[in-house]
Amino acid sequence: MNWQKLKYLLPSVRRERERDMREELDALRSLAEPGELGNLTLAAEDARAVWGWTWLTSLAADIRYGFRTLLREPGFLAAAVLTLALGVGANTTIFSVINATILKPLPFPDSDRLVLLWKTFGKGPGNEQIISAPDFWDLKSQTHSFEGVAIFDSSGRGYNLSARGTEPEQVSGLRVSAGFFSVLGAKPMLGRSFLTEEELPGRDHEVILSYGLWERRYGGDKGIVGRTIQVDGEPFTVVGVMPREFAWRFWSGPRQLWVPVGYTKTDYGRGNNSFVSFGRLKPGVTVAQARLEMAAFGSRLAKQYPADDAGAGGTAESLAGYGLEGARSMVFTLLAAVGFVLLIACVNVANLMLARGASRQKEIAIRRALGASGWRIARQLLTESVLLAVLGGAAGVLLATWSSSLLFHLLGPDTQLPMRQVNSIPIDGHVLTFASIVSCLTGVLFGLAPVISALRTGVNEPLKEGGRDSTEGGRSRLRYALVASEVALALIVLSGAGLMIKSASRLMGVDPGLNPDNVLTMQMSVPQEAIYTGPPGLPLFCRDLAEHVGAIPGVVAVSAVAHLPFEGNAGRGFQIEGRPPATPENMPGANYSVACPGYFRSMQIPVLKGREFNEQDTLESPGVIVINEAMARKFWPKENPVGKAIRFGGSDGPRLTIIGVAGDARFQGLDTPVPSQFMRPYTQSGWPYMNIVVRTKFAPSTFIAPIKKAFREFLPDRAISDTELMTDILRDSMASRRVPMLLLSAFSVVALLLAAMGIMGVVSHSVTQRKQEIGIRMALGARGADVLGLVLVGSMKWVLAGLAAGIAGSIGIGFLMEALLYGVRPTDPMVLGTVSALLAAVALLASYVPARRAANLDPIRTLRHE
Amino acid sequence: MDLLQGTLDMLVLRTLIFGPLHGYGIARAIHGNSNEALAIEFGSLYPALKRLEMKGWITSKWDTSELNRRAKFYRLTAAGRKHLTQEHSKWAEFVEAVTSVMGPVPVK
Repeated sequence: MNWQKLKYLLPSVRRERERDMREELDALRSLAEPGELGNLTLAAEDARAVWGWTWLTSLAADIRYGFRTLLREPGFLAAAVLTLALGVGANTTIFSVINATILKPLPFPDSDRLVLLWKTFGKGPGNEQIISAPDFWDLKSQTHSFEGVAIFDSSGRGYNLSARGTEPEQVSGLRVSAGFFSVLGAKPMLGRSFLTEEELPGRDHEVILSYGLWERRYGGDKGIVGRTIQVDGEPFTVVGVMPREFAWRFWSGPRQLWVPVGYTKTDYGRGNNSFVSFGRLKPGVTVAQARLEMAAFGSRLAKQYPADDAGAGGTAESLAGYGLEGARSMVFTLLAAVGFVLLIACVNVANLMLARGASRQKEIAIRRALGASGWRIARQLLTESVLLAVLGGAAGVLLATWSSSLLFHLLGPDTQLPMRQVNSIPIDGHVLTFASIVSCLTGVLFGLAPVISALRTGVNEPLKEGGRDSTEGGRSRLRYALVASEVALALIVLSGAGLMIKSASRLMGVDPGLNPDNVLTMQMSVPQEAIYTGPPGLPLFCRDLAEHVGAIPGVVAVSAVAHLPFEGNAGRGFQIEGRPPATPENMPGANYSVACPGYFRSMQIPVLKGREFNEQDTLESPGVIVINEAMARKFWPKENPVGKAIRFGGSDGPRLTIIGVAGDARFQGLDTPVPSQFMRPYTQSGWPYMNIVVRTKFAPSTFIAPIKKAFREFLPDRAISDTELMTDILRDSMASRRVPMLLLSAFSVVALLLAAMGIMGVVSHSVTQRKQEIGIRMALGARGADVLGLVLVGSMKWVLAGLAAGIAGSIGIGFLMEALLYGVRPTDPMVLGTVSALLAAVALLASYVPARRAANLDPIRTLRHE
Repeated sequence: MDLLQGTLDMLVLRTLIFGPLHGYGIARAIHGNSNEALAIEFGSLYPALKRLEMKGWITSKWDTSELNRRAKFYRLTAAGRKHLTQEHSKWAEFVEAVTSVMGPVPVK
């Protein structure tokens, strides 16, 4: 690069230079013999090329010319820009959401070095397991790939905050090891993070607050560090406050406080896998190396502790990529859909350009006759197309600024991915780059149609006075072929939406096995000594609940459960009494939860055999469980399980007798078959938090205040939180499908509209072109109906070809989006048939409007015009 | 006689060693110095001058000619002189190489 040359970008410098050159050449001319210097104009032209920015100035000329041409046809300009704005806008919107969520880096320094560390049982994905505290201690001392490792409680729980004179409140919190914050690289905004010695009971009464909690409950008090607050009725010292960006969301909503892990008696059990562990790789260590080390670590555990870890392995995976697998399928589907919408928009604009190409043929022919090369013509036409695309793209970005915030509100909490705080969907540099690239590609893509058509046309034909265009037939075929392709594309988008809608309706038709109507749920923490297995922290909880809340007029039934359906569950291995004991790796297991008496009645889950829990199931009476039908079928296929017993957790665990078999109520998701599950009564086995389930006679939301009042009667300093209707929980369990379904439906409406516009435009153009032919036909005796038929058949045969191609494409795309489907095959004839019929009807209507115009032509006037 | 590519630049620089010349003067000088074997098209010479000027090997200045006429005179710069030395030795190597291949004209 010659920097000298840059100054010649300034027109004033170029003008000065030009004048100087003219003077110099004039002077030389007078010195030399006449004609001795040859063609001085050519010499000047070649000299100009030395400093001139020839390509740039000719580009500028093309752009200026393009602008003038476009402004001469405001109707065409508006139609093309609007169409492109729709296409580019849809793409930019979807990309901006992806950019703000999946592509957003974790808010930690060098976050690509953070890895999740798992035990595995069995090969392949989906076998990752959480680890126990003793595993963590070994991991810390036996591995070398990591700068640091840390753990946090896999489930967390609600913590009760109370203070004299204020409403008690329950907030979501997490037990973490001392290294939790430092391994992530997250520094508290105020105070410090936890110290290693604080991991032990006695020193663990310390708490770190989230920014939100600090601001909301403690008024953003800068002097809060060192103060004591009441957590679960005990004094805790506030040691730190995290900054606003620290949003910890992992298998849960955002956490509001963190406490030291404070290892309990239960935590010392080698088999009590209840922690998620992660580490920070040493510089230069790859994830693959860490995976190898974890595999070796896992198999060492398997050898040393066969009772708990037989068959174990280990693995590591990037923290940044975690939890995004599910989003990928959705993102792919949506991107494909908007991509097709953009292609349809391209086809429409290409058609518009072809239609107006007819009037520009003379101009192009003259230019070529004057010596413009094909390449030069192509460049000029492409400049015009890209100019149009850039205008459309700019309008599209404007559209996207509006639609992306709309989409953000529509998506709501679904945009929240693990550990990322998404507060808005910005139109930032990445999005603008994406929009520019998409716009320019679009411009080149639809710009090819007029180029091909211009270069195929000869120089002579268009210049003949009044000459009839002999290539019109060819161009018309090109336009109809474009119509066919846009019908095919629209069909693919429509059938994608159709498959999603059918999936959703299939899913809504699934019997959940419980009755969600008029059920209100609320969560509260019920702290206890030995978490998960110990005696209940509040022995009279279930009875008090039934007495006080059950007494509210309008309450039909009340109970409580550790895990609400669709909101997670625990799992446990067991031995079946009377059968040969299974080895640890073959031990039967099932999901389990804990409930108060009356749970099945409150949820209206039928008890098919035996009975459900009652007040007589206490710590003094024999241990009991209620199992679901799936568990009965799996383990007692030919027997009545009622009266049989299991050993909970293994041969030396508590003996639990089956007292009832309940119907299969879905609890993992409506789209997932019900796995084996059993319930223990809270009166025999405590749980650190419980969800109150209240069935009311009517409008459950109106019962929130009375229920809170009833609670204050028997648990005055305990807060309840997360009030949710069971119907909402059920609906939210379908959220992962609801969003793509809504978006695909919106895109298919856009696709349908664009396709209709495209078809109407092409048919109406072709009617105009064929005016004389139609006039002659009518003069020779063709009736309006014949002309109507002629035009409709001409257009519909291309539409049908497009439909055929579209069906093939839909089936192909359908298989790629199978992960999003439920109860419907990508080849579903109902869906494909319906959308094909819909599209054909719209196409027929779009062709009918201009065809009617043709049928109503007055042959005399048409021919006289000629 | 056609000129090898890049040779024109070298010839111009070499011509300017004896002092500043205007464009027409350079053309005449090359023509004269080559025993009238090299007739340089002014149409190629003029853009070459602009190119050399852009590269900083020559500079130009308005001045009065021998016949008291105003003209633009080109002068060799230090950078141009250095470039010429390099080009010259390359040229000498090239000629030597070609000569050793060709040898004396073979006699049938």
